[in-house]
Amino acid sequence: MIEGLTGEVLAFVVFAGIALGAAIAVVSMRNLVHGALMLVIHLLAVAGLYLTLESQFLAIVQVLVYAGAIVVLFLFVIMLLGVDRDDLLIVHDRRKVAGIVAAGLIVAGAMTAAFVGPYTSEASVCGSDVTAVGIEQPCVGLAAAQGPDDAAGVAFLGRRLFTRYTLVFELSAVLLTVATIGAVILARRRDLLPEDEDLAAATPVQAPTTTDEEA
Amino acid sequence: MPTGAYLILAAAVFSIGLVGVMLRRNLIVLFMSIELMLNAVNLTLVAGSRMWGNADGQVFTFLIIVVAAAEVVVGLAILVNLFFRRGTVDVDVPALLRS
Repeated sequence: MIEGLTGEVLAFVVFAGIALGAAIAVVSMRNLVHGALMLVIHLLAVAGLYLTLESQFLAIVQVLVYAGAIVVLFLFVIMLLGVDRDDLLIVHDRRKVAGIVAAGLIVAGAMTAAFVGPYTSEASVCGSDVTAVGIEQPCVGLAAAQGPDDAAGVAFLGRRLFTRYTLVFELSAVLLTVATIGAVILARRRDLLPEDEDLAAATPVQAPTTTDEEA
Repeated sequence: MPTGAYLILAAAVFSIGLVGVMLRRNLIVLFMSIELMLNAVNLTLVAGSRMWGNADGQVFTFLIIVVAAAEVVVGLAILVNLFFRRGTVDVDVPALLRS
């Protein structure tokens, strides 16, 4: 390993271990609330990995949007619905579980086999002036591209976002508006409207004694 | 740290999310597994952005976070609606989405 990178290596190992363990916990926890909290830990570890990748702004966005908003939404829905008690792995079919895990291992192995080689060579260590087979240029890092007065990379990101990708940015704004309106319409309580009384009667949670639940 | 280390970690997290999507029956866990997969892709994009000194990967990561937020909002709204109508979020229930 190149000198001066030991801190980055240590941070990577710690954050990668936390991210992997928390990801496994997310898909294997029986209690959904525990799974959502493990997702928070995973997302925070990925934010730490963004910090080691010199992307401070994205690390902050990750904490704010993912760990702050999305997981809170997950927890809110889990606790609103009370569905955290009856979730099961498909443990009564062990062959199916083994097959699925084997498929996941095959996918991971195939991707790893593609990455080992050019992307693990000396050329992919930032600051080295080595050119490897399969990669035209060595890793240059973001510090040189960002400039001295842009330590967090906000101007670096914003300049590209508002020049080449302006249309994509505008479309994402449209998408967020559509998603907000759609969520409000979907989550609206239909039984609060007088003309929707038949729908309210068909809702099992609101009227357990109803007879036409198949409506 | 070589970029390949980040890519291999992302491949592992992506595969864990894929296994979660196939293994779990609860719709909420499926959403959380999809978030894991999106995060793995984001990690590869940021690693590539650092490697080439190019802002494109960061821009796309930013946009993927926006799209993931919109997806979760709409998906959870559908899920809440579904639970109030069906009383379950088990994806193995036949005709769960049929009205």
